[in-house]
Amino acid sequence: MVSHPFLLRSALSHYCIFIASLFFISLASWSVEACSKESTSCVQVQVNNVKNNPLENMVVYLEPLAGQVLPQQSETVSISQHSKSFIPYISVSQSTTKVNFVNKDDITHHIYSADSENKFSFKIRAGKTDSTAQFNHAAEIAMGCNIHDWMSGYLLVVDTPYFAKTDEQGLASFTLNELGKYRVVVWHPQMRAEDNRMIIEKDILTGDTITFTLQQDMNDIPVQKSDEDFDFLSDY
Amino acid sequence: MIKTGVTLCQFLILMAVLPLHTALAAEYSAHGIADFRVSYIDSVDKGYLTSGQGKLGLGDGLHFSVAQIGVDLSVAWENGLSAHGVVNAYPKASGDGESTVLGLTEAYLKYRSLPTNSGYRFQTKVGIFYPEISLENNAYAWASKDTLDSSTINTWIGEEIRVVGSEFKVTRLGRMNNNKYDLSLSATAFINNDPAGALLAWHGWTVSNRQTLWTEKRPFPWFPARADGQALAGQADKSDPFLEIDHRVGYHARGEWKLRGKGEISAGYYDNRATPYKVVDGQYGWRTRFYHLGARWRFNKNLSLTAQYLSGDTLMQSKSREDVVNNDYASGFVALHYNWQAIVANKKHKSTLRVEDFSVTDNDDTWGDNNNEQGQSLTLNHSYRLSKPWFLSAEFTLIDSRRPARYYTAQPVDLIEKKWQLAARYFF
Repeated sequence: MVSHPFLLRSALSHYCIFIASLFFISLASWSVEACSKESTSCVQVQVNNVKNNPLENMVVYLEPLAGQVLPQQSETVSISQHSKSFIPYISVSQSTTKVNFVNKDDITHHIYSADSENKFSFKIRAGKTDSTAQFNHAAEIAMGCNIHDWMSGYLLVVDTPYFAKTDEQGLASFTLNELGKYRVVVWHPQMRAEDNRMIIEKDILTGDTITFTLQQDMNDIPVQKSDEDFDFLSDY
Repeated sequence: MIKTGVTLCQFLILMAVLPLHTALAAEYSAHGIADFRVSYIDSVDKGYLTSGQGKLGLGDGLHFSVAQIGVDLSVAWENGLSAHGVVNAYPKASGDGESTVLGLTEAYLKYRSLPTNSGYRFQTKVGIFYPEISLENNAYAWASKDTLDSSTINTWIGEEIRVVGSEFKVTRLGRMNNNKYDLSLSATAFINNDPAGALLAWHGWTVSNRQTLWTEKRPFPWFPARADGQALAGQADKSDPFLEIDHRVGYHARGEWKLRGKGEISAGYYDNRATPYKVVDGQYGWRTRFYHLGARWRFNKNLSLTAQYLSGDTLMQSKSREDVVNNDYASGFVALHYNWQAIVANKKHKSTLRVEDFSVTDNDDTWGDNNNEQGQSLTLNHSYRLSKPWFLSAEFTLIDSRRPARYYTAQPVDLIEKKWQLAARYFF
């Protein structure tokens, strides 16, 4: 469940410099460092589309099935509202990790999730950071803004520190503390598959590469952009 | 002379007091527009705003004006409730402009729910507001976004269509249903718009950026049926469009289909359900009904379209229930917008071409009150965004109209009017 006492919150001292592309931001800051094949406990996951070409920005996570002990992520997850869009489009956090919502716009946003099990909403003013929403259980949370309907973002909360998004080569790498049997999951909200995911359960050996090939084309990723190009509209 | 309505003071007090009744954090904001213009008009002596027969607000000559100062004041609470008050001022233009006026144009409470799990959102609005018709006047304080002057349809909406009512709107968000489109339906029950239709009958379709202030009365040209002993001798000198005369509730319904990233199509129906033979202090009920269609479409990142069509009728009768004014009317426009981002960087230049066709058809036999009219209009606008808040615009308007009623005041029945304007508009 998500709790939500919504009080505002420490101020950002200044806006971040404008970052031109949503695309690059969405690739930024991943929790598990890439590893190399030479490393003893490195596992790589390759995700390809239906034409066998690499797919980037697919979420991959590994859940232990043999009682392996998991470390807790200490890094704070940051979800920005910038240029009236969620950046990144998809965020992933380990349950109980602190999640900061950071409004980098000069207007108020009204962030919400309507999902019955993970309902929350709060207004976040220009330049403010809000970390009151808590995410303590695995969940797939679709977020919107009740002022700007085109805004759309996802937070995937998982019970594992082993998560990443695939890079341009469709590759995600993990350094595991313990080998053994894991459930390997690939998820994306626009994946046309049951529960938007593919799952392989596997006894992972050193240097393994696990490959997923999608069975169908992905749905279109929504464009987080207003149909209007005017900044002074009255019905916000 | 500056006229201010009592309602403006009442509203400001309400805005100040409301927050005291809630423990929730409130966010205050003030947004608006200041519009500075130089215009040159080739028309007749007097524009329609000063009871002339011109279709433009001002008459012949060069005019300097602050064409609008509008402020949209609002308080928004965390729970989705907000209170809005829109104040507009129209200072006197140089030349033959009307007197300076200042007052309230809208004042309402709005509640917007969060979407449900299945993507349905509810919104209600209670107070004084515009029924959702205009696709042009969506900037703060009901300013027109892409042109300096509104189309004939929306100049009329700004002049005569305003209600005290409650609107209920349901929106189904496609994003939460794996659809690319949103659907919304709204229904409004309203009062206080019974004389709507009078000004359209007596000055026809017009082009300006003027909105009628709440409780404000508006003039119209003289015509023989107003003389003593004639059918309209009992009509007051000025029309007061926002009155409730017969205590019958009117309605407006609207539906919209919006395809994300592409555009939207909408349709609506308005009926004030006024009793056409009731008259209070020289203000008659006018049974005014119309449907309206609208479309906005983006063909590519540079080229987009806005179009509206409105058609309906209005009826005003004597106390003995004989038709005095029985008119059909229609107006439509198509506007094309071009963003010059391919040629001039940074989306700073935008051009708009708008063509319109309008008519009023007089179906009654009242002597000395011919309301027939036919015309076309062309508007060309080029706007340059100088900085974030400042927009510089140049606009040309041409109106070609045939209006037999001009004969009553010795004006040409067939008239071509032209207006050149330069404007600096500041939005905040």
